[in-house]
Amino acid sequence: MTPTLVILFALKAFAVVMFAMNLGVILTWVDRRQGSMIQDRVGPNRAAIPVPAKILQVALVAPAFLTVVGIVYLLVNTEVEEAGRTSRALTFSQLAIFATWLTALVIAGRVRVRGAKNSFDGFLKSIGDPRRIFYGGLALHVLVLAAFVALEPTDLAPSLYKVGYGSGSALLVFAILFGAGYAAFMLQKAGVVRVTVAGLLHPAADGLKTAFKEDFIPPNADRFLHSIAPFISFFPVLVVLAVVPFGDTLCFGMDQNGALDLTNLLTQVPRDGVCADGAVDLQVVDLNVGILYFFALAGTGIVGAALAGWASDNKFSLLGGLRAASQMVSYEVTLGLTVIGAIMIYGTVRVDEMVRWQAEHAWGIFVQPLAFCLFFAAAVAESKRIPFDLPEGESEIVAGYYTEYSGMKFSMFFFAEYVAVVTSSVLMAALFLGGWHLPFVHRDGVEIAIGNSIFFEQGLSHGLVVVLGVLGFIFKVIALCFVQLTIRWTLPRFRYDQLMRLGWRKLLPASLVNILVTGLVALLIQSAGAAVQRGLNVAADLSMLAIALTGIGLSIWLVLFLLKPVHKRRLVVTSSAQYAEKRGGTRWARMEA
Amino acid sequence: MAQVGLGPRKVTGKAVARPNRTAAVQGYIPEITKGLGITMSHFFKNTKEMVLGQRNDPVLEAIEEGINCISYPEQKRPYPERFRGVHRLTQRHDGSPRCVACLCCSTACPAQCIHIEPAEYAEGDKRRGLERYPKQFVIDELRCIFCGFCVEACPCDAIRMDTGIHPAPYDSRDQFIYEKDLLLKLRGRDGSRKSSYDPIEQGQQGHPGVDRERSH
Repeated sequence: MTPTLVILFALKAFAVVMFAMNLGVILTWVDRRQGSMIQDRVGPNRAAIPVPAKILQVALVAPAFLTVVGIVYLLVNTEVEEAGRTSRALTFSQLAIFATWLTALVIAGRVRVRGAKNSFDGFLKSIGDPRRIFYGGLALHVLVLAAFVALEPTDLAPSLYKVGYGSGSALLVFAILFGAGYAAFMLQKAGVVRVTVAGLLHPAADGLKTAFKEDFIPPNADRFLHSIAPFISFFPVLVVLAVVPFGDTLCFGMDQNGALDLTNLLTQVPRDGVCADGAVDLQVVDLNVGILYFFALAGTGIVGAALAGWASDNKFSLLGGLRAASQMVSYEVTLGLTVIGAIMIYGTVRVDEMVRWQAEHAWGIFVQPLAFCLFFAAAVAESKRIPFDLPEGESEIVAGYYTEYSGMKFSMFFFAEYVAVVTSSVLMAALFLGGWHLPFVHRDGVEIAIGNSIFFEQGLSHGLVVVLGVLGFIFKVIALCFVQLTIRWTLPRFRYDQLMRLGWRKLLPASLVNILVTGLVALLIQSAGAAVQRGLNVAADLSMLAIALTGIGLSIWLVLFLLKPVHKRRLVVTSSAQYAEKRGGTRWARMEA
Repeated sequence: MAQVGLGPRKVTGKAVARPNRTAAVQGYIPEITKGLGITMSHFFKNTKEMVLGQRNDPVLEAIEEGINCISYPEQKRPYPERFRGVHRLTQRHDGSPRCVACLCCSTACPAQCIHIEPAEYAEGDKRRGLERYPKQFVIDELRCIFCGFCVEACPCDAIRMDTGIHPAPYDSRDQFIYEKDLLLKLRGRDGSRKSSYDPIEQGQQGHPGVDRERSH
């Protein structure tokens, strides 16, 4: 192992641990914010840092200024080839239009809430509905695109390049500077601003608080086991992530000595296969036992909860510990058996090879839909969260196995739960949602093809493809975490016998049936002819198309949802409403995060 | 018909239909998805309206779009005009209390939460001999039942409950004891420390000019 590889290993491990911990911290915030938004109340917003307005102004203007300097540097110092000119001018003008309407829209939204304060506000207000700014921007996007498409083959192309490139970059620079400058200008009169970051400072405040709290150990408790239990339950959920790949393998060039040259990332790679040497997996360790490592460590987590319950010298803790142990053991069985079906299909236990199989064929959720549902349910049960949070059922056993914990040890249990959500989401994304794979994105670029007919082809550089994959993976993980948190706000807690019945009499037989059916279908497909194989390939491509269309549909739905007007009708009946109307509304303080 | 007298009673009950256990309900997943959909729709709707500043005014637009939360204490429902809040003592033009320490309010108070210690104005004061002033004026807001009798009883419009403040929760009982200085500092909801009409001081038109030495 060369020093380079050791450093790479350390870096990857650090990145993965940081990802899981930070996402866990953010999830504690998301959980509270989601709960408050569902119930239509102000969420966590009390934790604030008072920052002098001068510092905020600098913090607003400086990045914008640096961005502008970067753009100007790019403009001055790069020579653009003849072929890439039009696309570059198009990119710049579209970016400029986007930045312009977005800035105007954000300011107009603020103006609508707080009223016009200066002449620019007045101008925005005179436009009327802020949606008009969005529609205008959209029209401009389409117009410029049409102009480029129409004029590109004509003699006007060089001047088009000059106009698009020049005015586009000028407008982009202006929009960025103006947006930041406007925000800084509005802070002119504020002395000190309470920065709340939408309540994101709450987890930090909580961490600080627990660090200074008393670390209580009951007099008759087993001091050693009581102290070590939080670590035993926290450790496994974190290290499980070592076997999951966060992105496609990176290919680097080699220097003269045959060693890895990290400065030389290949720009183009072939579509199939991974480069023989110079490959860097975006995965901490490439274990040949793969998914089994996860199950081995997940079993350790049970020990933590059971120990905590036993060592606390408290009846409630003991009950909680017992519940935790029996629940996690029960659902571990289902968890393991559901994955067997997936392993039979993928033909491997290595997580990176599973992802690669899904990239080549179809995502696991289409191949093993029942296994996905079962795995999801069992994973929620494994993380001991609502609706499976009986080990800490506060209505019956105070706080279950962590009744006697306080301070940092309590928050380790608490935090381990959230990291377990991240971990299970990471695994689900890798096993069933194609890991880092995005539909129609291959190692050498985008190619939309169904069966043998190709509809669209565009080469992309290797680095870009890998970055897109990593972003896609993170998006999938966050989406799954979000669903798990939504479940927490939706479903009521099971009764303990219901929990056991669900585990042993519903999920377990279902996972056995899943194995049986998977085996039968796999055998049938193996013995089927070439026509069936071709049909399956087309079906796999269609599943990719379905994913892509779902993604596009969701984005369009989001925009339409944001544009949807809110109908309000004033109804001033009560005397307090009359009083509020005289004051200009009930908003003594604006309702915001 | 209700059964009268002794003997075994016939137990009657309303037949409640069993919940409809269709395959979709028994299959867990469709129902869970439906529930998640409802939760998410609330989440996205409320988040969008909060971020875009489209939230309903909880008092003015409450009835149209279902029940609105008033997020106390970020938002407060304004009290109606005649709401009886924490007391205040009104001031004269020179800032002294209008109260003449006649003890009408403390006498009228059913909770006996007002304590007044009357005192004579200093020698040479133009009001000396004409009226007294409260050396101490203490209201125990914890005992007060906010009936407003003190305001009704006051002949000088010296005590009012128009601050619009409801008594704040404190962590010890002595903090509920409002002394004269604090009561004089509180303002009415119109922002004034005065009362609605000017007091008639000695020498002004309408002043009876009567004191303990000189009667009619």
